[in-house]
Amino acid sequence: MSAPQSAEQSAAQSSVLRPGDERERLRARCRTAVERAIDAGADEAEACASANSGTSVQLEKGDLQLARVKESESLGLRVFVGGRIGFASTNQASSDTSLAQLARDAVTLAKLSPVDPSAGLLSGSRIDPRPFLDQPRAWDIGPERVVDWAADLLGRIRAFDRRISVDQGAVNFGRGSSAVFSSIGADAAESDAGLSASLFGMAIDGDEVGGFDSRGDYARNAEGFEARLERLAREFGTTVLANLGTGRAQTYKGAVLLAPAAVLDLLVEPLVGALSALAVQRGRSAMAGKLGEAIAASAFDLVDDPTDPELAGATGADREGAPAVRTPLVEAGVLATYLYNARAARIEGRASGTGHAVGGPRGVPGIGPHALVLGPAKPSDEGQLDFGRDELAPRLGRGLLVGRFSGTVDPTSGDFSGVAKSARWIEAGAVTGSVGETLIAGNAYEALRAIAALSSRTALLGGRCRMPWALVDGVSVTAG
Amino acid sequence: METHPDPIDLLSSALVGREQGFVELRLHRKRQRAVAVEKGRVETAQSTEHTGVGVRVLEEGTFGFASTDRLDVASIRRAIDQARAAARASARLRTRAIDGMAPADLARGRFEVPGFAETEARSLDEVLDLVLRTEARARAGANQVDSASAAYSELLEEKAIVTSDGARAWLRHVRPELRVGAVARSGGELQRGSRSVGVTGGWECLFRATSADGLADDAARIAVDRLRAGYPEGGRKRVLLSPALVGLLTHEAIGHTVEADFVMSGSCAAGKLGQRVASELVTLCDSGASEYADGAGGTLPVDDEGVITGRTPIIERGVLTGYLHNRESAAHFGVAPTGNARAWEYQNEPLIRMRNTYIEPGNSSFEELLAGIEDGYLLDGPANGQADANGEFMFGTQEAYRVKDGVKGPLMRGVNLSGRAFDVLDSVDGVGREFRWDLGSGHCGKGQPAKVDAGGPWLRCQVLLGGRG
Repeated sequence: MSAPQSAEQSAAQSSVLRPGDERERLRARCRTAVERAIDAGADEAEACASANSGTSVQLEKGDLQLARVKESESLGLRVFVGGRIGFASTNQASSDTSLAQLARDAVTLAKLSPVDPSAGLLSGSRIDPRPFLDQPRAWDIGPERVVDWAADLLGRIRAFDRRISVDQGAVNFGRGSSAVFSSIGADAAESDAGLSASLFGMAIDGDEVGGFDSRGDYARNAEGFEARLERLAREFGTTVLANLGTGRAQTYKGAVLLAPAAVLDLLVEPLVGALSALAVQRGRSAMAGKLGEAIAASAFDLVDDPTDPELAGATGADREGAPAVRTPLVEAGVLATYLYNARAARIEGRASGTGHAVGGPRGVPGIGPHALVLGPAKPSDEGQLDFGRDELAPRLGRGLLVGRFSGTVDPTSGDFSGVAKSARWIEAGAVTGSVGETLIAGNAYEALRAIAALSSRTALLGGRCRMPWALVDGVSVTAG
Repeated sequence: METHPDPIDLLSSALVGREQGFVELRLHRKRQRAVAVEKGRVETAQSTEHTGVGVRVLEEGTFGFASTDRLDVASIRRAIDQARAAARASARLRTRAIDGMAPADLARGRFEVPGFAETEARSLDEVLDLVLRTEARARAGANQVDSASAAYSELLEEKAIVTSDGARAWLRHVRPELRVGAVARSGGELQRGSRSVGVTGGWECLFRATSADGLADDAARIAVDRLRAGYPEGGRKRVLLSPALVGLLTHEAIGHTVEADFVMSGSCAAGKLGQRVASELVTLCDSGASEYADGAGGTLPVDDEGVITGRTPIIERGVLTGYLHNRESAAHFGVAPTGNARAWEYQNEPLIRMRNTYIEPGNSSFEELLAGIEDGYLLDGPANGQADANGEFMFGTQEAYRVKDGVKGPLMRGVNLSGRAFDVLDSVDGVGREFRWDLGSGHCGKGQPAKVDAGGPWLRCQVLLGGRG
């Protein structure tokens, strides 16, 4: 599939470091930055660096719009001085002089901050990368091959149905390495490379413009990527074509059927936000005090699994260099743990967190999951777009199917309100057509307990997570 | 910029010998200072800088883009060569060549929005004091307030833009913002209130309408009031939208659908130029300037293609009159570029984005507008929003007040509202005379973030509310 490369491209590729060499270079930069911070007066310091490169081919207006080659590098330095925090980040830290200046900036910021007794790092140790993050399989992919894939994806869309309009999309290849090093032992580095594709658009039939939808996919392996593009084009095309010819839903309060994207937006993301230990400690989590309690229907098993190589967030270490391991969050509906980074752990006097520090070199670490899996880790069979609909619609009988949710979920109260997109009306357990201008409202935390059923298989959502379909009761539906 | 005595000279030097076709060079230095406090603890005190040169070329009818974080002639020339190679690689598979770049009023010289030097010189002590004091005030706002947070950030941006067809511009501006949140508790129930403000300019501009204390008091009040508030009814309702929500309406319901790239893909605004799409009371514009009031958060004297910005009418007295363009789409439509090409950082290519989007003020007083609602709602407090290709939009509100026979009732919990953009604008039967920008904090997302603003007067119309049944 790949075409001969130009001289410029060959030259550019020849300068690409091997993964191990790039990690060692970043580790050395981090070590130097930490040393400069200690020299500048820090009690403790942590540096995080990343180097990324790749090619992105943007699709727009149904054509190849722009090809972008990318190289970037950043380094972030977090320091603690007498219980005070400071952080500085730059992409201009190529020399030891600039690292020393970055260290002085971070220490200056820290000295101005008020004292916080719980501020500081947790001790760490060296973590070697998982095998697939040590020598990534897709490390060397040239720009021409990415262009070919982008054209291939567009061709598949056109062949599927000429009424489909791709407003925006992309095929991307990215590779990169990252490293974390601290003055009290954290030392982790890994490399990763992957391919992704996305589509955003709608179907247009005469004067009728259908509602948009978006789909994406991700792979760490170039083998079989064409087949993934074919599936992506088919799923996207099927959905946006079905968005044509919208009818009117009916207003009611009761059960709705949520597709995997809606399950993620309406149920899982608010819950995961409430599981942040900092949210609990700060009094803004509805899950405070509920460890060991049933918070969801018994079918609800939520796991964070950074060991799953099919998920983009797979990693061996978190943003602070702590081990990232498979962590059950909710088991049979019972809350199993909160998520901790070092800061949240220190506030509670814990010796370690749960490996859920997230973010990059451009900011202080936050808290979040790496790779969520809800329900059985059994994936849908290829080509079974509506596996969960066919399984659960008969149980709904009559009502609304929500393809995705466009609205607001208040993470504090759990209240949600918004538009049901790519929505369908179901009668006698079967889809009768697309519906528009339909709003849904309810409470996400009440909805967790009102889950009547989850599908027996899951969908891989853009490489981010695995989600099932869900039948949820107690939702208010307002038809326009 | 410290790295070169004159960034325009640096870019111009890099361009010598590589001018063939269209080449656009943008040196973008972006610094951010941010402080966040929650429940009395400093979560972050940080400064970041990301600087580099973005290179876009138009070659063989398609665009190529590359970037470098090294600020020297050799590195920029290497990026130009990479961008050319990328363009050539995709040109062979492009089905329709890009028409070219429309001629434009290209900027030459220095452009500066007031407030940069003052904000840059402000001490971190002062910033920390503001954020700590604001958070403490929100937390002390009522007995039921259990937790509060305050976060301040400022984006200091300096850009040099040089193009092979004549732009030679340098500009700088600063965009500070303050966000305050409060969480109130009653038994096991939690409710959140928030307020935020963001501008292009200095602190005097940031706090021109409401002080930091006022934002803290509002956030605490909303959180507490929502504890005892009921839910609005769902259905199609006559509503009075606050200036902030009018801003969301203009941005989500109309603004995105008239971005010319979206129009070319077939948005609901395609083919409607010259047609009546709204009530005669509605005149809707997007502007790089801060019309009617200073400090709008998307203010931009020159866009990232080097085009001088101005006021762009979109709907005039109910008739659709224009789209938002970059130089590529302007060439396609045979019109002048409108200065809407914007890139978030040096690593990003310019996209068609809104700046400050608004509905022009009318003649009605607030009282007259309220009196005209027999049975409906007054809505305020913007949350997130989204637009669809078919014109169906949604956005969230924090506060809803039942209105009966022209009288405002107690606070109810916010809801999301929806409708078809042109249907909603056609239903407008009252436009207020007081104008306010009120959407300058946060970002608009379209692949890249962008700082925008939106606003207008109070406005009466009919929408679909997603209440509880």
